[in-house]
Amino acid sequence: MSEARSSSPSHGTERQSAVIDWFQDRLPIEPDSLRELTNEPVPNHLKRWWFALGGTPAYLFIVQIVTGILLAVYYQPAPETAYESVRYITNEAAYGWLIRGLHKWGATFMIAAVILHQMRVYFTGAYRKPREINWMVGMTLLICTLMLGFTGYCLVYEQLSYWGAAVGANIAGGVPVVGDFMKTMLLGGDGYNEHTLPRFFVLHAAVLPVVLTILVAIHIMIIRLQGVTEYEFADEKDSEKKYFNFFPEHVMSELTIGLVLMVILTALACILPATMGPKADPLVTPEVIKPEWFFYVAFRWLKLFSGTVAIVTTGFIVFIMYVWPFIDDWIRRKTRFKEASVWIGIVAVLLIIALTVWEAAVAH
Amino acid sequence: MSHMTLEQKRTILIVLSILFLVSLLFVQRLEVVRRAEEAGLSEPHVAVPASSRQCVDCHVQSTPGIVSHWEGSTHAVSGVGCLDCHKAADGDVDAFAHFNATIATVVTPKDCSACHIEEAQEFEESHHAAGGNILASLDNFLAETVEGSREPFNPHSPTPGLALNEVNGMASASLGCQQCHGSKVALQATDGGSITVDDLQPDENGQPTNLDAVARIVKDPNGKPLFTSGTWPNTGIGRLNLDGSRGSCSACHSRHDFSPRRARQPENCGKCHLGPDHPQKEIYEESKHGVAYRDLKDDMNLEAKDWVLGEDYSAAPTCATCHMSGHSRNGGDVTHDPRIRISWTNRPPVSALLDTDAHGALVTSTDPAERQALIADTWQAKRTRMQAVCSHCHTPSYVNAFYQQYDDLVILYNEKFAKPGKAIMGALAAENLLTKTQFDEEIEWTWFYLWHHEGRRARHGASMMAPDYTHWHGMYEVAERFYMELIPQARELAEAGGAGGHRVDELISEILARPEHAWFEEGAAAQMEEIRRHMEERYGQNVDGAHTGP
Repeated sequence: MSEARSSSPSHGTERQSAVIDWFQDRLPIEPDSLRELTNEPVPNHLKRWWFALGGTPAYLFIVQIVTGILLAVYYQPAPETAYESVRYITNEAAYGWLIRGLHKWGATFMIAAVILHQMRVYFTGAYRKPREINWMVGMTLLICTLMLGFTGYCLVYEQLSYWGAAVGANIAGGVPVVGDFMKTMLLGGDGYNEHTLPRFFVLHAAVLPVVLTILVAIHIMIIRLQGVTEYEFADEKDSEKKYFNFFPEHVMSELTIGLVLMVILTALACILPATMGPKADPLVTPEVIKPEWFFYVAFRWLKLFSGTVAIVTTGFIVFIMYVWPFIDDWIRRKTRFKEASVWIGIVAVLLIIALTVWEAAVAH
Repeated sequence: MSHMTLEQKRTILIVLSILFLVSLLFVQRLEVVRRAEEAGLSEPHVAVPASSRQCVDCHVQSTPGIVSHWEGSTHAVSGVGCLDCHKAADGDVDAFAHFNATIATVVTPKDCSACHIEEAQEFEESHHAAGGNILASLDNFLAETVEGSREPFNPHSPTPGLALNEVNGMASASLGCQQCHGSKVALQATDGGSITVDDLQPDENGQPTNLDAVARIVKDPNGKPLFTSGTWPNTGIGRLNLDGSRGSCSACHSRHDFSPRRARQPENCGKCHLGPDHPQKEIYEESKHGVAYRDLKDDMNLEAKDWVLGEDYSAAPTCATCHMSGHSRNGGDVTHDPRIRISWTNRPPVSALLDTDAHGALVTSTDPAERQALIADTWQAKRTRMQAVCSHCHTPSYVNAFYQQYDDLVILYNEKFAKPGKAIMGALAAENLLTKTQFDEEIEWTWFYLWHHEGRRARHGASMMAPDYTHWHGMYEVAERFYMELIPQARELAEAGGAGGHRVDELISEILARPEHAWFEEGAAAQMEEIRRHMEERYGQNVDGAHTGP
């Protein structure tokens, strides 16, 4: 009984503070400043789920890192072993099919989430001054994510991986002036050779994830420095609190989104598991060559125009997307089309959807 | 332009996001379907080419089977439709207007060669393409005259229920010989006769040059030329087509699905290569090759695109494997000329080594210099090609030893029975002890059975490792036919043949005095005693089967 009494609440608080003191002696972090750091007030509009999509790609990125590490345990990045190692993961390794399915669907969701997040930022004008730089960081994140998707697709070393990589390298080679250099750097030679697959693997599993992590850190740091763009909806009462707590409220919503995503990902990995096409054969060109779905729009664009025209225009479009905050600013200041960005956005999104569906629906 | 409210932007965002997500679902769905097709897990999607849309719409009602077969074909997946094969030029003799198109019923190798150039070329040079040459052979005489009648004749009593005016004496030839060897496709002529490639004299494009013959073609009220019933339908492999081409690709690649899988299976060849005179299918089934195939069919990867032995499969060989298909040692090169891997021809009464000239014909000259000048492809080269196939599963010493066994059997048959039999039949004919007409004398049937049925069975059995066909269905029956029928029947004809008969009798005596035949007249008492002793030692039995044991 005396022992039970000795663990009374007051005694517990004392012990807790002793532990905190022990740590504070060694790590000069104040609990109050830590609380302040993690518990920034979050604007009310973030209670609406579509504003919370920025956290979704970050969450999916963590899923990709965890499943990717598990896949890397068995994956062997050499032309003679890659396909067999993926087959081993898919058919023999315990839960290998599930991990691979989660990684595959995680990639699809991550790209979709990045696009949705970017659409939200774009249509709400959240990229405007002073947030132009963070928009450009975000654009770089988008490109890194797409590069991760492309290099991951190439690693399976099935027919479409191989020919997709070959087509991708040729597209890089088609860039004026620096094309040949880019293609050589990507493939490790003039054509697809034994050094190509290890390059894709290093890009996919080391370089791009590190770059992405750094960029995500910068992206979030800038958000913290500038604060989230604040919106007020008409149905909000003036008397209502304009902010809510990051912890635990916002963390809870992010966690909910994450758990729901995990359920969906697991379901998809079970219902539509990641399959394997025929092994890469450099001597046999498949009848139908398709990249992954997120490149359908670019692939269709390439087919609509001659090689160089398509590549140069694609580069130009990407450049416009990068500097859009400044163009938008100019339009808003110099013309009467204050909401031009919305209409241009609608046309662009519809065009992207149309080109993607078109490419998906036809064989050639 | 006025400012948008946040609510308006929210609506736009929601609509576009939903549109994006829905399109993403749609694209993923298509992606899953496409990958399943690639992995062979589902039927590939078939898009009917615009040119054949009308054909399919109608024929899916009138002949749904044809459309369904086509939908399962590689042609359908690749966008090759009805008109790509059936379209005809206006000048083609069998062309007719069918709704909005000019088409022909019979698709010939010339039509297939529009796309399959190399395959058509190989086939044209093959013995298969020459299958129609039987139309002027001994076998055809059997079907047209012995079994049937070259002219129609009157029925001799009524067939209740049928108003029958005449009997088609060519029925056996049409439905027997010609369904394998190929018919000479004929159109009905206005004078009651028929019009064939011989009358039309087509040019190199298959267009007729004899317009008089074209003018005599009988057409139905819709302008469709009418075939003579005995010559069409026909998918014989050496069919003589109206456009001058020879053969029928659908003999092996059944229309309208043109399944490579089916052509790779022995049952496909077994439509013709079976029966008493050349039971290759049954021989294969008796062999270890056939036994392995039946057991391991699931491992044969018959659906593979190229089906290369040593790469796509190695479980067992089929007819196609050894005689036609590509393998890992020849770069996967398929041939449509099965003869290029066959070193003996076991078709004639006496087997010959297949040294062939530039046209693929057997070089028969016995003069060494002349042979050397004529031979374009030696039997050794052909055998080396076959041995390259064997070498996937057998060592060179094993393969060479097998070929030694095979050669020994063929040479034994040739030297002991075929050449003597041929000499006796030749002598009887030379001495006018036989009529000019074949099959009107018993000995002609005897000789035909000996080489055409039993002799081939023995040789084919040896060529494909079927012991029972080599022995009991082969050499045993050859020997029985030779000693128990051919020799007595020849002696009987010789006896009644005067001086000429005497010369034949001397030849028979000379043959039977040879060491290999000596047992027949001199007896083999010492060997029989040896056998009796062995049987007794081994089984305690007498050679005549009487039980002598306890």
